[in-house]
Amino acid sequence: MNPPTPNSDVTRRGFIALACGWTAGAFAGLAAGIGAVRFLVPNVLYEPDQRFKAGRPEDYPDGAITFLEDQRVFLIRRGNTFRCLSSTCTHLGCTVNHSGEGFHCPCHGSTFDSQGKVTSGPAPRALTWYLVTLSKDERLLVDKGQPVESDKYLVV
Amino acid sequence: MPDESPRKFYGLFIVLGLLVSVLVVLGYYKDQFRDWKTYQHQFVKEEVRRATTPQQRLLAESTPVQIRQIVLPDLNRVDRCTTCHIASEDPSYGGYPQPLAYHPHHDQHPFDKFGCTVCHRGQGRATTTAAAHGHAEHWDEPMLPLRYIQASCGQCHQAADNPAAPKLARGEQVFETNGCRGCHKLGGTGGLIGPELDTVGARRTPDWLRKHFTDPASVTPGSGMPPQKLSEPDLEAITLFMLSQTGGGLPGYYASMKVIPSATEGRKLFEQKGCIGCHSIANRGGKIGPALDDVSLRRSPDWIMRHFRDPQSVTPGSVMPKFGFSENQTRALTEFLLHLRDQQVSLSLPGMISPVERGREVFRKYGCIGCHGPEGKGGVPNPNAKTAEQVPGLQHVADGYTKDELKILLLRGQKEIAPLDPHRPPPPLYMPPWRGVIQEGELDDLAAYVFSLSTKDKDLGF
Amino acid sequence: MKPPLPVRLWQWFEQTTPGRAIFRVGVPRSNLARAQAMVSSFLLHLQPAKVQKRTLQPATTLGLGLISLFLFAILTVTGVLLMFYYVPSTERAYNGMKDLEFVVSAGLLIRNMHRWSAHLMVLAVILHLCRVFYTGAYKRPREFNWLLGVGLFLLTLGLSFTGYLLPWDQLAFWAITVGTNIASYAPVVGPKLKYLLLGGNVVGQEALIRFYALHVIVLPAVAGFMIAVHIWRVRKDGGLARPDEPLEAVEQLDAGQLPTNKSYGLMELAKGTSPQVGVDPEDLVSSWPHLLFRELLVFLAVLALVLSLAVFWDAPLEQFANPIHPPNPAKAPWYFLGLQELVSYSAFWGGVVVPGLLVALLALLPFFDRGRAGVGRWFARERAVANTIFSVCLLVMVVLTIIGTVFRGPNWSWQVPWKEPPAAREEH
Repeated sequence: MNPPTPNSDVTRRGFIALACGWTAGAFAGLAAGIGAVRFLVPNVLYEPDQRFKAGRPEDYPDGAITFLEDQRVFLIRRGNTFRCLSSTCTHLGCTVNHSGEGFHCPCHGSTFDSQGKVTSGPAPRALTWYLVTLSKDERLLVDKGQPVESDKYLVV
Repeated sequence: MPDESPRKFYGLFIVLGLLVSVLVVLGYYKDQFRDWKTYQHQFVKEEVRRATTPQQRLLAESTPVQIRQIVLPDLNRVDRCTTCHIASEDPSYGGYPQPLAYHPHHDQHPFDKFGCTVCHRGQGRATTTAAAHGHAEHWDEPMLPLRYIQASCGQCHQAADNPAAPKLARGEQVFETNGCRGCHKLGGTGGLIGPELDTVGARRTPDWLRKHFTDPASVTPGSGMPPQKLSEPDLEAITLFMLSQTGGGLPGYYASMKVIPSATEGRKLFEQKGCIGCHSIANRGGKIGPALDDVSLRRSPDWIMRHFRDPQSVTPGSVMPKFGFSENQTRALTEFLLHLRDQQVSLSLPGMISPVERGREVFRKYGCIGCHGPEGKGGVPNPNAKTAEQVPGLQHVADGYTKDELKILLLRGQKEIAPLDPHRPPPPLYMPPWRGVIQEGELDDLAAYVFSLSTKDKDLGF
Repeated sequence: MKPPLPVRLWQWFEQTTPGRAIFRVGVPRSNLARAQAMVSSFLLHLQPAKVQKRTLQPATTLGLGLISLFLFAILTVTGVLLMFYYVPSTERAYNGMKDLEFVVSAGLLIRNMHRWSAHLMVLAVILHLCRVFYTGAYKRPREFNWLLGVGLFLLTLGLSFTGYLLPWDQLAFWAITVGTNIASYAPVVGPKLKYLLLGGNVVGQEALIRFYALHVIVLPAVAGFMIAVHIWRVRKDGGLARPDEPLEAVEQLDAGQLPTNKSYGLMELAKGTSPQVGVDPEDLVSSWPHLLFRELLVFLAVLALVLSLAVFWDAPLEQFANPIHPPNPAKAPWYFLGLQELVSYSAFWGGVVVPGLLVALLALLPFFDRGRAGVGRWFARERAVANTIFSVCLLVMVVLTIIGTVFRGPNWSWQVPWKEPPAAREEH
């Protein structure tokens, strides 16, 4: 390679300077962009907790399917067993209604049987069952973060 | 065009570019580096150390490092204290140094219903130590020192009623027996010379209150309040009682929890309101109304409650006045009457019957003692008052006034106090008008009591 | 020598179909391309393709208009971000501020940037106005642009003022209470104006939602539009004001007489002292890159200033608004403290006559000060009278503002800032 002429040396130095400046600028811009995205990611939530206490077992009559409005779930008692079923339709997220033996979704007509399985309509999957446990102070404890099989239940 | 070429600014360009980058990084660092992360990492480390099985270890390691909060919509509070005090609900952390320590004794007040700041004060939404503990500029609610924590009980629970808060009860007693009400209104009753105290606990710090009792003028220049000579425990107790007066009405769920009305509270009311003037218990008391010994057998709780709210509604033609009791007072009185038969009623009733004794109670209740001293002996300083720069004692009242003149004076008050030296500021203490505050019957009793103080007239009998 | 790799990559990208679609001319390498780059870009075409060399001199304008523009841009970006967390409700607004400080990533930083940029923008706009006055740059044909500028100055104050209320703390509440009361001293319309602005008689929820709507959409939209016109007019009025050239040539010019030896087309036909007219082409340089690179530097400098303020100083947030306990003294935002000081002497003179007269004088200035002497020069001797009058007014306002800011203590009594104020007497 030929030694650079003085003129091209100036150009090269100019280019390096420019590149440094632009790199710094690009870095700052990128950091600001990431910062803006990070700013928008919520760090705390004000919505109801995914894990919640649902009162004492004896608050629920035998055989009852109780709709808990705050959490939009059905709490189902059969004898001394407790289960918790999501009321969120697996199709597009509407709240299903309890009707007769099963559940039906008012939005697009999906129906589910008493085990949450799809019997008709566009819903792709069965309704989700959630883990129910008993807390230390003998309250029902539902965890919407933990889906379970439909045959798992809490015995009190 | 060598002169205008941007090239000569390339250096400046680099410097500015780097400066902006450095500032962005600095801003990011300041934003991300928070003490609570350190504490949560400590907690995770401790959990990992304790883990005995691989599963537990995995669980401990997966503890999320994030801001934790208790949302209390009814109280309009969000308490993020558990972001640092992360193990406060875990008894196995008893005895650990803060912020990882366990918080004992909270079974009655579960965190998810009460949060932290409702008792401890401070700034629940903050996530930095100084700001969260309320020691920050522009935050008026610093954390309550632990030795005053019983003041928080008094926000919801009646002072006298709470066996868990003896200091609070003592504070209330100090307040009532030292005549504070003579100048200060609390809960609607009291004089007008000093400010109302219903929200004083939210406005003042413990230090301010303590200084204010021992040397009022040092914190409120020009205050005419006489310095209080209180024993150290009494001083602490009255400070604590004042701190409990936050005036905050609690909503919804919390109001329903407010005060379990007890027979003790009811009995106190029964004595204070002079029920015994008309009704009798165990053959002591007045004969105007029916005896109350077996009222619990004759009447339902509901009837008694309605009777307290409006006597005429259940007993047409009753001469008993509508006292305007609060719902809690009504419940407490009912509780007292229902349990009369179970209790050893050893009320100090006999003594209460004489007008002089009732008058002494009135004297105490409205805080006359605050200026005129115990037993009306006077001696409370009132700078620049002609009467030896003191509030006069009451021993000679009977010499100068008739009872009717005294009653008029009590009702009208005496705003102008003759000064010793007209060039100095007028005496701060004066006699407030008590019209509309002291009731008609009470006024007679009070006059009787004041006359009984006369050093010459030893006739207490009337 | 072959250009380095990133440059080659860029050059390759420019040749691709999407590259050509986006950039049209690519990084310009000829004067023609440079002119095209300016003219064919939506954002850049507000500026001329070529500028006077003196435009590039910092001393000509001190870049104050540009600084105001960049501050407006920073305010817009940070403001939009803040909107994601802000709820204009008296119950939630203050909590939102606390969440920004304690919970949201970079929340405090962005709020700080917004706050300090707002103060800086008021300052920059005032200085810009002074610059235009002292260089006589409001004279024909720039009368209309001066009017726009006065409007933008008032809009800037309005934007800052409406934003002041939103945190719903003591500072906000009482500054707006005092500020709107100053407005109510205006004759005839004053009380009605206050009523309309607050949506009632006191500062409450209705006032908050009104100030919010004004602050986040009405005023920024109007200001954004006016800024666009303002910058466009700078170009259409012949670039920056400069000492007069003989005007005859301009007046008689028509399209047929335009020089034909120029390859960059008819982009600068404008009345008045256009850069094209009667000027030696050697006085002109391409906006790209000369002007644009300098603008970039100004932007970086403004950003660095705002960032350093935001990183090291937190925006004020006082106690939750409490209508019962005003701070003593309750002060309006600093740019209104001169007015508040005046109002403390006389409500009518301070709240009505003086500000009304000042704004009217400013607005009508180019229509009665019609002489053309001294245009485009700082503190021109020929304009000594005008400059003196303006300087005196400015000085009085500055002094009044300083008095209102630092020399006024409790009960608006005189206070020397370096001495402890007398202990405020307890209210009983």
